[in-house]
Amino acid sequence: MAAARPALRRAIPSLRSSTFLPHHHQRPQCLHHHVTISQRSLSTSSPFCNDTQTTTSSPSSDRETHFGFSTVTESQKRQLVASVFTSVADSYDKMNDLMSFGWHRIWKDHFVSTLNPGFAPLSSSDPSSPQHILDIAGGTGDIAFRMLHHAHTVNSNPNVNVTISDINRAMLSVGKSRSAELPASQQAALSFVEANAEDLSKTRPLTPILSQSEQTFFDPATATSSIPDNSVDLYTVAFGIRNFSDIPAALREANRVLKPGGIFACLEFSKADRHPLFNSVYKEWSFRAIPLIGQLVAGDRDSYQYLVESIERFPRQEEFRDMILDAGFKVSGQGWEDLTGGVAAIHRGMKPRV
Amino acid sequence: MTSPGAVTYSGAAARRILLRPATTVRSLSRSLPTTAARPLTTSTSTLPSRQQTSPQPQQRPPRHLQSRTYHSTTHPSPPGPFTQAETPLLTTALTSHVPLHGFTLTSLTLAARDLSLLPISPSFLGPSPVFRLIHYHLYSTRTTLSSLTAVHSASLSGLSPPEKVELLTWLRLKQNEAIIPHWQQALAVMAQPSHVPTAVKELALLADEIYYLAGDQSVDPSWYTKRGGLSGIYAAAELFMTTDKSEGFQETRRFLRRRLQEAEELAGVAKSVGEWIGFTASAGVNVLRSKGVRI
Ligand SMILES: C[S@@+](CC[C@H](N)C(=O)[O-])C[C@H]1O[C@@H](n2cnc3c(N)ncnc32)[C@H](O)[C@@H]1O
Repeated sequence: MAAARPALRRAIPSLRSSTFLPHHHQRPQCLHHHVTISQRSLSTSSPFCNDTQTTTSSPSSDRETHFGFSTVTESQKRQLVASVFTSVADSYDKMNDLMSFGWHRIWKDHFVSTLNPGFAPLSSSDPSSPQHILDIAGGTGDIAFRMLHHAHTVNSNPNVNVTISDINRAMLSVGKSRSAELPASQQAALSFVEANAEDLSKTRPLTPILSQSEQTFFDPATATSSIPDNSVDLYTVAFGIRNFSDIPAALREANRVLKPGGIFACLEFSKADRHPLFNSVYKEWSFRAIPLIGQLVAGDRDSYQYLVESIERFPRQEEFRDMILDAGFKVSGQGWEDLTGGVAAIHRGMKPRV
Repeated sequence: MTSPGAVTYSGAAARRILLRPATTVRSLSRSLPTTAARPLTTSTSTLPSRQQTSPQPQQRPPRHLQSRTYHSTTHPSPPGPFTQAETPLLTTALTSHVPLHGFTLTSLTLAARDLSLLPISPSFLGPSPVFRLIHYHLYSTRTTLSSLTAVHSASLSGLSPPEKVELLTWLRLKQNEAIIPHWQQALAVMAQPSHVPTAVKELALLADEIYYLAGDQSVDPSWYTKRGGLSGIYAAAELFMTTDKSEGFQETRRFLRRRLQEAEELAGVAKSVGEWIGFTASAGVNVLRSKGVRI
C-alpha cells in the first residue's frame, strides 16, 4: 500500500496540468485552479473512494513507467482519478471554511431548506408533475445532495430529480463518486451533465475521464445534447457564479431554461459593507490572513489570493440584483437576503409568466 | 403623478415627512424605505388638508420598484416593501386560501397554482414566504384603512378624536375577521427573532396611521407616547379577538373601549405595552408548544 503512494503522487502533476488549466480562459475557472494536492490528503483514506487502497496496493513494479495505472481496470482508474479530486474538493471545503468562518455549510443548509424543493400541499388532489432541479456549477454535489434529501426525505416527495452540471468533468466525477453513498432512490433521481453555464444549449452527459492527458474542461464542440427552453423548475448556483466569465449570459440562459414560475437562486460570497467595522475586520482577514494561511496550510498562496480577489470583484448585492432583473426575472422586496452580515448573500428571482 | 415611477403614497409615514420642517425631512427620508423617498401625493379626499412642503430632491428609486402607477384611492397604496411581481401571489393566497389553510406555505402554493405558477414559485418570496404573507396582511390592512375611512366618513365626522381613534382601531380589527382562527399561529411566526423587528415596525406604523386618520396633528413628544400606547392596546385587543366567540366580536369591542378609556385616564400606557409583550410571548410559547417545541 505504501508502494502505491509514489505512483499516485507522480500521477498528480499530469492531472493538475490537464484538468485545472482551462484551455481558453485566461483567468482560472474556479478557486481550485492550482490547488496543490497534498500528500497527506492522498494517503488518508477518503470515505468517498474506498476502493482506492485495494486498487493501488496490487504489487507491480512497472508502475513508474505507467504512472501506476497500467494494471487497473478502467472503472478503477476512474475511481482513482475521482479520489484525487476528492482531495481537491476537500481543499475547497477548507477555503470555504476560511472565507466563511465555517459558516458555508450552514448557509448551504439554509439555502436549500428555504427553497424547500419538493414541497407539495397535502390537500392538492392533482398529482404534481415531477420537479426538475438544475444545479449549476454543482461540481461536488454539495447542493444537489441536500436538495434530494430535502425533497425525498423531508418533504417525502420522490417526484423530484436533480441534474448536476459543471464545466469541469473532474469536479463532476467527484460528485459522481460521492453520490455512491446516497440511497439508491436518490441516486436514481440524479444525473450529471457537462456544460458551460453561459451556454446551456450545448451539453453532454458526464463522460468518464479515462486518461490523464484528457481535457477535463467541457468543450462545446463535443456537445451531444442541450437543455431545452422552459424545462426547469429550480435553477441553483452556489459559489459558482463569480467564476463565470460572462455572468449576464449565464443569467439569460437560466431564464431560458426555467419554466414560467420557475425559480433562480444563487448563493455567493458578497459584500459585508453595511457594517463598516465588521467589514474592515473581514477585509483585513480576507486580504491578509487568508492568502497567508493558504500558503502555510496548503503551500499555495495564489489560489487563495484568487479566491479573495474574485469575491472582491463580484458585484455588490444591489448590482447583482439588477443584473438578475435585466435577465428577465422578477424579485420580491429588495431581491436578496444577506447571510452573516453580508459575507454571503442569497439572491432569488422568479421567471414570470408572460 | 403620472410620470414614470410616480406613485400616490397615502401612508402616514410619508405624510409625516411632508409635515416636518424642511430641515428634518432629509434625515428622515434617509431612514425610511426607499419608496417613501419618491414623489408623494395624498389622494384620499376626506383627509384633513395638508400643506405640502416643496418637493425634496428625489432619489432614483431602485429599478425593481420603478414604473408603478397607482391612481385609485380604493386600491392598496404602493406595495411599499412589496414588488408588483409578488403582490398577485400574496393577494390570491390571502383572499382565497388563508381563510381555510391559514398563513402557511400550503396557502401560497395553492395561490401559485391558481396563477398557473409552479409549486416552487413561492420560494422567490425570500427566506420565509409565510412571514412574507403575514407581513403583507399587516401591510395591506394598514394601507386600506384610509379608504375604509372614506367609506365611514359619515359616522366619523361627528366624533371626537378619541372616539375616532376607537372607531378606526375597531375597523382595523374587523379586517382580521376572515383570518382570526389562524391569527395565533401567525403571532407565533411573528414572535420569531428574525421577524420581530418587522412586526413591531408594522404595529408602530398602524398606530401612526390611525392617529393620522383620526386627525391628530400633534407633532410633539407626547405623540410618541400616544403611539406606543395605542400599539399596545391594539395588539392586546387583537389577541383578545382570537379567543372571542361573541356575536360580531362585541366582547372585543368592549375590551378595546375599556383599554382606551384606561389609557385616556392615563397610566395605562406602559402597562398595556408590558401586558402586550406578556400576552404575545405567552401566546407564542403556547402555539409553539402545541407544535411540539419544548419550551
Ligand atoms: C467553488 S465551486 C462550487 C461547488 C459547489 N456548488 C459548492 O457550493 O461547494 C465552483 C464550480 O464552478 C464551476 N464553474 C466555473 N466556471 C463555470 C462555468 N462557466 N460553467 C459551469 N461551471 C463553472 C467549477 O468547475 C467549480 O466546480
